[in-house]
Amino acid sequence: MKIVEIIPSRENCVEAGWYAYDYMLDKPVDKQLIDALRPLGSMTYLGMLRKPFFKIDTAEYSIKGLEGDSFFRIAVDDQRRESLEKVNAFLETLE
Amino acid sequence: MIYLNQAATSWPKPESVLAAYEQSVRALPSSQFRSSAGLQRAARSAAAGDSTLIGNGGAVMNDDVIGETRQVLGQLVGIRDTGRIFFSSGATDSANAIVYGLPFDSLAVFATETEHNSVLRPLLNLVEPVCGPQNGEVRIIPCDETGYVAPEAAARALEGICKPAAVFVNHMSNVTGRIQDIAAIARVVHQKDAILIVDAAQSAGCIPICVDEWGIDALILTGHKSLYGMQGTGAYYVRDGIPFRPYRYGGTGRDSRKLYYSDKPPFDYEYEVGTQNGPGIAALGAGARYCLERGVDAIAAHERGLMSACSRALREIPGVTVYGHGDSSADSLGQNAYGPVLSFNIDGMKAGDVAYILQNAYGIVVRAGLQCAPLIHQEMGTYENGTVRVSVSDMNTMAEIEELVRAVREIAGSVGAAAGHAADAANDATDDAASTADLHVKGRRL
Repeated sequence: MKIVEIIPSRENCVEAGWYAYDYMLDKPVDKQLIDALRPLGSMTYLGMLRKPFFKIDTAEYSIKGLEGDSFFRIAVDDQRRESLEKVNAFLETLE
Repeated sequence: MIYLNQAATSWPKPESVLAAYEQSVRALPSSQFRSSAGLQRAARSAAAGDSTLIGNGGAVMNDDVIGETRQVLGQLVGIRDTGRIFFSSGATDSANAIVYGLPFDSLAVFATETEHNSVLRPLLNLVEPVCGPQNGEVRIIPCDETGYVAPEAAARALEGICKPAAVFVNHMSNVTGRIQDIAAIARVVHQKDAILIVDAAQSAGCIPICVDEWGIDALILTGHKSLYGMQGTGAYYVRDGIPFRPYRYGGTGRDSRKLYYSDKPPFDYEYEVGTQNGPGIAALGAGARYCLERGVDAIAAHERGLMSACSRALREIPGVTVYGHGDSSADSLGQNAYGPVLSFNIDGMKAGDVAYILQNAYGIVVRAGLQCAPLIHQEMGTYENGTVRVSVSDMNTMAEIEELVRAVREIAGSVGAAAGHAADAANDATDDAASTADLHVKGRRL
């Protein structure tokens, strides 16, 4: 998995108080990738949906997306934006 | 894609709106009061059989379209004095024009808990700081958990006021769809010689409005919702006799030698300055005409049918809480009436996550969060998480509602099945909501 582009989310009203970014990937998210993200925080996985939904929550950031999509969203607390670097570094190890 | 976010901006637009916009853009430009070229050229082009220069509906150019749009809007919302309808860039612009234009340093100001930030923010950030805490406090009239503002609550709020007052009321909640009994509130307000400003951004075009009959002193409209116009268009009305200054000055195309306006009656203010959004106003006129020709009652009945079915079906899903649209039998002006908006939540899920799944997994566009109306969410108990809002227009179908209900049923069922693995509920710091402690509303709730 490679991150192709990181785009600031337009949904600022939804993500109020947080900065949200859409991570564009070079291939669709699969279950293997979702499982690999588990060390990043508390995982919610809704596998019965048309496209399974996953979300990782911590006090500093949240990651959510759908299996099969070539993107996911990361929202980070404005006061803790440095935590994004930690996430990015972790994601780079998943290649 | 199923679009159920009509309360934000309606889509798709009627074909007549798109045609009016295109014709206006293609026509020779002419600004209000500035040139008769449009009329003359249109007449010439019509005589020459050149339809490309002819404006909306085969009529003449933008000059006339602006006047026609004023007439159609007046007809739609029950305003006889259409010369007191002024164009704006939308509800926020309209609200600011009214807030800045009224003499707030001498008024007691009231607003309801259902107001949108387009009204709340101008009031709280202009009136209070400018007028000072003694004179400029904005007092908040409470609503119930459905968004209903009882006329009696307005009466209690106005008890004992010893100076002129202005009362802002949102006709229809953009969160629950609840419709206020404006005629009853107007009676209460006028008994106190106060003025009533109604925000009809959500209701105009889909709910009957009778400005003159009900006694509305000022009205806020936007073009891009149920009037089917373009984003960046709107209008407001201020009854003749209300002391009201422009909040912007500039060229109007009339009486260019005059540099000062009289600040004593009779006022000679002009409220539309600069070049108006001719194509947008043409589209707004076509949208309002669509509503008139289709019939607001017919639109309301269609949308009520969709929302009632939606509300009933969602309420039957375990784990789903529906806010608003509680009485499917109410008519569009009844005591328990709702417009084409409702909100819901799914137990154990954040509103923003539900909206994310609906959009990206099911292709259904809704709106999540506080919907720019934070105070009503306090009454609803949804300030932390917000809600998922569903809103329809005349263009939506029952099949689309059925698709939404199927999707919500799947999501709610999936949450139930995954409950054992649910995320730590305390880990709530995402998405829409700031903490309650962050809410800093200067207005005093009554």
